[in-house]
Amino acid sequence: MARVRAEVLVIGGGATGAGVAWDAALRGFDVVLVDRADLASGTSGRFHGLLHSGGRYVVKDPVAARECVDENAILRRVIPDCIEDTGGLFVTTPDDDPAYGERFLAGCAAAGLPAQEIDVGEALRAEPRLNPGIRRAFTAPDASVDVWKAVWSMASGAAEHDARILTYHSVVGLHTADGTVTGARVRNELTGEELDIEAGFTLNASGAWAAQIVKMAGIEGIGVIPGKGIMIAMSHRLVNTVVNRLDLPADGDILVPIRTVSAIGTTDIRAADPDEIPVTHAEVDQMLDAGERLVPGLRAARALRVWAGVRPLFQDEKSGATLTRDVTRTHAVIDHEARDGVRGLLTISGGKVTTLRLMAQDLVDAMCKQLGTERACRTADVRPPGNERGEYFRLGTRLREREATLGEEQLICECELVGRGRLERTMHRRGSVNLDDMRRQLRLGMGPCQGGFCIYRATGILHAIERLDGPEASASLVQFLEERWHGVWPILYGDQLRQARLDDWIFQGLLDVEHLPAAVAP
Amino acid sequence: MSHHDVVVVGAGLAGLVAAVRLAEAGASVLVLAKGVGATHLSPCTIDVLGYDPEPVERPLEAVARLIAARPDHPYAVAGPAGVADAIAWFTGCFEDGPLAPYGYVGDGAENHVLPTALGAPRPSAVVPESMAAGDLRGGGEICVVGFRTLKDFYPLLMADNLDRLDGVHARGIELDLAAEGRADANALGVARALEAPAFRAELVAQLAGRLGADERVALPAVLGIADPHGVWTELQEHLGRPVFEVPTLPPSVAGMRVYATLTERLRRAGGRLILNVVVTGADRSGGARVTAVRARVGLRDVVHGADWVVLATGGFASGGLELDSRWTVRETALGLPVVGVPTPGAERFHPAYFDEHPIGRAGVAVDGEGRPLEPGGGVAMDNVRVAGATLAGAEPWREKSGDGLSLATGFRAAGSIMAALGVGAGATAGTGG
Repeated sequence: MARVRAEVLVIGGGATGAGVAWDAALRGFDVVLVDRADLASGTSGRFHGLLHSGGRYVVKDPVAARECVDENAILRRVIPDCIEDTGGLFVTTPDDDPAYGERFLAGCAAAGLPAQEIDVGEALRAEPRLNPGIRRAFTAPDASVDVWKAVWSMASGAAEHDARILTYHSVVGLHTADGTVTGARVRNELTGEELDIEAGFTLNASGAWAAQIVKMAGIEGIGVIPGKGIMIAMSHRLVNTVVNRLDLPADGDILVPIRTVSAIGTTDIRAADPDEIPVTHAEVDQMLDAGERLVPGLRAARALRVWAGVRPLFQDEKSGATLTRDVTRTHAVIDHEARDGVRGLLTISGGKVTTLRLMAQDLVDAMCKQLGTERACRTADVRPPGNERGEYFRLGTRLREREATLGEEQLICECELVGRGRLERTMHRRGSVNLDDMRRQLRLGMGPCQGGFCIYRATGILHAIERLDGPEASASLVQFLEERWHGVWPILYGDQLRQARLDDWIFQGLLDVEHLPAAVAP
Repeated sequence: MSHHDVVVVGAGLAGLVAAVRLAEAGASVLVLAKGVGATHLSPCTIDVLGYDPEPVERPLEAVARLIAARPDHPYAVAGPAGVADAIAWFTGCFEDGPLAPYGYVGDGAENHVLPTALGAPRPSAVVPESMAAGDLRGGGEICVVGFRTLKDFYPLLMADNLDRLDGVHARGIELDLAAEGRADANALGVARALEAPAFRAELVAQLAGRLGADERVALPAVLGIADPHGVWTELQEHLGRPVFEVPTLPPSVAGMRVYATLTERLRRAGGRLILNVVVTGADRSGGARVTAVRARVGLRDVVHGADWVVLATGGFASGGLELDSRWTVRETALGLPVVGVPTPGAERFHPAYFDEHPIGRAGVAVDGEGRPLEPGGGVAMDNVRVAGATLAGAEPWREKSGDGLSLATGFRAAGSIMAALGVGAGATAGTGG
C-alpha cells in the first residue's frame, strides 16, 4: 500500500475544497487535496455562475447578504481574471409587488450594499430584451464568475506552495486512532490502486457528500440537505447584465450572462441522493416559463444545455426547516470534537461560490485553533495564478488572442475558440483521457455544436498525445458523447434539436461510432 | 407570377434528383431552396441500407425485407425495384456529367464495406469510384495518409482501429504538407490544393519509399473538386497502387461533386435553381390542390405558380421539420401534418444517447404515390410529393439509409409526377411502389 503524508488532507475539489487548499497552503501547511472526480465537477461546476452582490438575500437572509457584500469585493480584487464585471439589475416584473422595492432598499442599506434605483427606461435601454412591463429597476454589483477557472487558479496556487492535488481519488475510508481522524484511504478511480494518506488534520469540504464522508468516522446525523437546482444555458447572451427578479427568492428568477451564454436558474427541490439528480421535461418547462417573465421570447431562443446541481445546505437541526430555500445560505464549520468527540476532523457545509474564500478562511481558522497554532489567513490579499494582470475577464479577450495567431494554429473548437496548442498543452499537463476534463478546463465542446466537430478532432489528438490505442480513444469519444447527451436531451427543441441531429449525422452516419472495432461497450 | 410545371422545394439530394429527372423528361422545373442542401454535409456514399440492425450484405434484398416488416418505412414508397432503378439512373447521371469520367460504382446488390474516418467498417451500396478501393471485405494492407494541416482527419487513429479488423493490416502516416500555405485547412481547402500538380507531386515525393509493396493508400476525401477523376487516377499511377478516399467531417467534397453534377444537369435541361429562398406556404384552389408556393426572399414575399410540388426540405437536421419548446412539430414549408411525435408529456428522447429515441422517426406520412397524408389517412395535398428526410418512418443515421432514401424517394416523386404529366420514362417505368 502506497503511503502519502501530509499535515492537512482536504476532501473535495470543488470551489470550497480548492479554496481551502489554497488558504491552508498559503499559511504554510503541507496539503493534500483529493476529489473523487475532476476539480469542480460536482456542485461547483453545476451552478449558474453568479457572483452575488448580496441583493438576493438582503430581505430574507441579512447575514448571508452581508457576507456576499464583503466577499464580492474581495474576490473582485484577488481573482479578477475569473470574474466578468457584468453588473446586476433587480427588476420588478408585472407579477411582482412593487412595494418589495422598499424592503429591498432598506435591506441593501443595512447590508452595506450599494444598490440604486434607476429609471425603467434606462434599464430597458441597457437591456433591450428585458420584459418591457417591468415596473422598477435597481442596480447592484452582481457579476459572473467562471468557477472552473477560479478553482483551477486556486488549486494551481496551492500546488505552487507544494500542495498535492489528487483528482480522481475517492475516499474509501477514514483512518481513526484514539478518537482522532488520522487520514484516509483513497482509491485512484482511473487505476483502481489504493493509497493511504496520513494526515495530521482532515478538512471535509465535500459539500453535498459531507455526511457520507463523516459517516466513515462513525459520525451520524449531520444535516446536509441536497437541494437540487436546475439551470439552462441559452446559446446567446440574452442579457449582458445579471438580471434578478425583485422578489423573495423563487424558481427561475436569475439570468446570468456567463462567457458566451446566459444561464437561467434555478429551482430548489429537495433531493434524496446527491448522485441521482435527473432533469425532467416538466422542470425545463417551468424554467422556460420563468425565463419568459424576465425576457419575453426566451422560449424561442436556443437552449444549449441543461444541468442540475445539488446545493449542500446546512440544516440547523433545531430550526426544523423543511424547504431547502428556507434554510440559511450561510455556511457552518462543524466541530466534530465538540459535537461528536472526534478530533482531527472538521466539516464545512452550506455556503456558496461567492463566499468560498470566507468559508475556507473560517475552516482553516478553526483548524488552527484546534491545533493551537496561529497563522494568519492571506487569501484576501494574495492573487492565485492567472490573475496577475489584475483585470476583469472580458468576453472578447479569447477572440482577440486567437485572431493574433489565426492561420498559424489550428482552431480545434470553433465555438469556444480553443486552439490546438492550448489543447495539446493541457492534455500533456493533465495526462487525462477524459475529454470532459478538457471541456471543463478549456470550454472545449461547450458551444452551440456541443462537440459536434471538435470532439472527433480532440479524440484524434488525444490518441496521439496519450498514446491511446483505438478502443481507448473510442471509449473517450463515446464517454463524451454520452455525457453531452445527458445535458442536452431534456432541452432538445428548436435549433438545438437541429444541431443534435447534425451531430448524430456526424457521429452515427459518417463516423459510425456504434460499430468501432472492439469499442468499449457504451 | 412565374409558373412552372413543377416547383421543387429543397436542394439536397432528394430535391435535386427529382428536379433533374423531371427537367430531363421535359418538364419546366424550378428549385427553391434556403441554401445548398445536405450534400455538403453527407459523405455522399449512397447507403441504401447498412444495418437492419445487423450489418447488411445485400441491401436491395434487405430493403424488400424491411418494407415487409415496416410498411410505414419510406422505402415502401419507392419499392425495391424503384430503389434499383434510382441507383441505375443516379450512376448514369455521372457518365455524361460535368465531372465525367468521375462516377459512382455499385448497383445495390451488394454493400461495399468502407472504413470511416474513425476506422469503423461502414456498409455502403453505391460509392464514388475514388472510394471503392477502400472496400474492407477482402482485407489487405492499408496505409492511411493524412495531412497535419487538415484537422478533420486523423490517420493514426483511423489506422489503429482499422488494424483491429479481421484480415486488415493498417498503419497511419501524417504528412506535414500545408494546403494553401495555411496551418488550418478544411477538406475543401485541401481538395483545392490537390488540384495543383505541384502539391500532388510533393505528396507523392513525401510518400516515396515509405509504402509497403502490397499497401493500398487511404486519403481523406479531398482528391480534387474540379477534376476528381484526374487527381485520383494520377495519384494511383504515381504511387503505383490503389488509392481511395475516406469521407470525413463536413464540408463534404464528395457531396459537392454530387451537387455540381446534378445542378449542372439541371441547368442543361433548362431547370432553374434559386437559393436563399424560404418557402413559407402554399396557395390552394379549394380542395387539396396546390396552385402556387409562397416564398420569402429577404424581406420580400414572392409567389411561384406550380402544377406540381416536390417537398424535399429534409428533416430536423435541415430545418424541414421543427420542434418548438412546447413540443409542437411543424413541417416548415407547406405546413403539412407530421406524425410520429410523442404526445405532450410523453418521453421524446431517452436518456441514453445510443438508444432509439421515440421522436426519431417523426416526419410526414405519405401514400404509395408519395402524397402527404392527413392524420386520418386522407390525402393532404393532392399534387404534392414528399421526398427525402422529411418522410416519417426512418432512422437514417442508425440504418445507414439516408442518401439511399433521398435518392429513391426523390426519383420516385419525379416518376409519379412524370406519369401524371405523361412525359419521359416516368409514364411507363420507375414507379416501382
